[in-house]
Amino acid sequence: MQANGIDSSTGFLDRGSCLELVGRLASGAVASSQLLAALWIDLSRLKQVNESFGHLGGDMVITQIARRLREKSAGRGEWCRMGGDEFVCLIPNSDAEHARQLAQDLLQAIEAPLRFGELFLHPSASIGIAILEGDEDPFAFLERADRAMSTAKRQGGGRAVASGDEPMPGRLGILLAREELTIENKLHLALENGGLSLHYQPIIGFDGRVEAVEALMRCTIDDELIPPARFIPVAEKTGLIIRLGEWSLLAGARYARHLDDAGHRTKVAINVSRAQLTSPQFAQALHGALLCANVSPELIELELTESLFMDISETVQANLHAAKRAGVGLAIDDFGTGYSCLANLKDIPATKLKLDRAFVIVLPHDRRAFAVVKAMTQLGRELGMIVVAEGVEDQAQLDALREAGVDAIQGYIHAHPMPEEALLDWFQQRNAS
Amino acid sequence: MTNTAEAPLLSPVDALLESSLKDIGIPPRPVILDRISHEMRKEEPDYKRLANVIGADVSLSASLIKTANSPFFGCRNRVHSINEALMMLGLNIASRAIAGIILRKVFPASLQLERFWDASARIARLSGWLSQYVGNHKLRADDAYTFGLFRDCGIPVLLMRFPDYHKTLAQANGEDHRSFTAVEESHLPTHHAMVGCLLAQSWWLPEETCLAIRHHHDVEVIETATVTPPLTSRYRIAMAQFAEYLVQRHTGLSNTREWSKLGGACLRLLDIAENEVDGIYAEAVPVMDAEE
Repeated sequence: MQANGIDSSTGFLDRGSCLELVGRLASGAVASSQLLAALWIDLSRLKQVNESFGHLGGDMVITQIARRLREKSAGRGEWCRMGGDEFVCLIPNSDAEHARQLAQDLLQAIEAPLRFGELFLHPSASIGIAILEGDEDPFAFLERADRAMSTAKRQGGGRAVASGDEPMPGRLGILLAREELTIENKLHLALENGGLSLHYQPIIGFDGRVEAVEALMRCTIDDELIPPARFIPVAEKTGLIIRLGEWSLLAGARYARHLDDAGHRTKVAINVSRAQLTSPQFAQALHGALLCANVSPELIELELTESLFMDISETVQANLHAAKRAGVGLAIDDFGTGYSCLANLKDIPATKLKLDRAFVIVLPHDRRAFAVVKAMTQLGRELGMIVVAEGVEDQAQLDALREAGVDAIQGYIHAHPMPEEALLDWFQQRNAS
Repeated sequence: MTNTAEAPLLSPVDALLESSLKDIGIPPRPVILDRISHEMRKEEPDYKRLANVIGADVSLSASLIKTANSPFFGCRNRVHSINEALMMLGLNIASRAIAGIILRKVFPASLQLERFWDASARIARLSGWLSQYVGNHKLRADDAYTFGLFRDCGIPVLLMRFPDYHKTLAQANGEDHRSFTAVEESHLPTHHAMVGCLLAQSWWLPEETCLAIRHHHDVEVIETATVTPPLTSRYRIAMAQFAEYLVQRHTGLSNTREWSKLGGACLRLLDIAENEVDGIYAEAVPVMDAEE
């Protein structure tokens, strides 16, 4: 039932009025150089409500949801009902950030349980966001919001997706969001133009000797340093992580050889990803790297990510034992949090346990954490492993870790990660003093 | 893949280079490539300065000009100088062309790999030609060419490290059923495709080339559509394998069993029917004969 372009169930503008309004608002926004955002909202499961409770039931749900939407948007934005379960909100002067925030608030408001007689319904929705671009056709602008909504729906619903954030095929044909796509391109550039490097952070035993140096990957493109937290997830998604991992295996192994030649015989600890360890070609790659670097295997240690604990498959087991047979050391990284599982600890032929920094940060004041560190250290030692604490920044932490029986320390208190040449200088200065 | 050239007597400098190479494992990325990369990252690369650096090496300069003038590097006009070659090819392609030229020079002369490198070069050139002649724009000719040069670069590395590796190679070349790399793996903990891939990665070659090197004896990879390695890697593998088959058919030398194991999959990927092969061979003969 409609009168004067208004939808009677919701009091929102109807479809025809919406299309008229978007044209007006768009030309106003262009004329005054202001922004205009559109949110396209699609309610889930309304069809089932209609089927189970009839259209009156469905109307009641729509009316209640419409009230929530209006309240949440607090007078900002023009609301329209585009069809059965679809709404559009046009918001003048709204940028992407505001639109995203509002979309999240609306999702939250929609998802609150809704009483329906004796029952509680759990509504949910998908939202597409578009920001008017220049003198874009107003209908094309609405269509972008609609398409973004479809993407949100395909991704499982209950979320908002901004137009432009929809996944696009990357260079390896994998669907990625726009930012991920940029990072993927940068990773390819880095892999083809020498944009990868390793920095090294020493791990120092309480007996004063350098236990190992951990190789940490850096990715720099056009003088911009891309933090690992940004490029690692994209590398994992695209499978490039295997290439990055193999590159660092060889680069780290060559550096171990270089250090040895320079008279600083030290183990180099190299991070190995889950994707590498689940690959049937891991052993060939490891042997290939050792051979190409012509380095003694006992100078190499592989740091195994804690997510490995999720599922120790036969391939992983076989790869770990192949690594062991090759003569390289194995260290369990970030132990004690996340997926770590004591039952799996016995299945990994590791020689080193690295306690997660989360335990170190709260030392020395958190006595419970101290007790856990002490127990983990005891456990590691019983299993014949060297125990290392990561992320150590001050003397108080160091003292507590010594008291807990930890063998070696890695952290800013000793040294920051540094490039190859700087580490050589660091060794020289250390030897001189 | 064995070699026959007589071993020249090594000069003391060569001997020194050789022992250091054996010592370090794989040849490090040539410094000249770092210089080019460095220049490429600038907003306005200084071509002249690069041309001077490359020009200091007479043999490299001559090879680069020759490569730039080969049909598959796409220079419409004949280039006469390094500067022109760099401008026409662009630094990216020039850098890969130079990598390909230097590759054979970085291994010790005592390995007597002349025939091996000549065969690689012949396959590379024919791959470049094939990619234009039957490729339907699936693969750029310069990519096909570079891959051809680097495809087997793991072999000299393994020859340096394992005195008996040539026996493994002979066995793998004559193997009718198992894959080439499976034969290698029955003697070694790794294989030349993996080592070649690692070398290519450490020389910063493109991802697609590295993956193609790694999988170039793997029939499943040629046959199966996957995300990794991508289609362009698979085309590289198939084009070079087809080129190798045509070269071997033409010369009657170094026959391997690879075509009987991989040929069907390669032709299917390249969309070439069996009955078209003879026609392509006939067209390719003058190309192969025209080579030096």
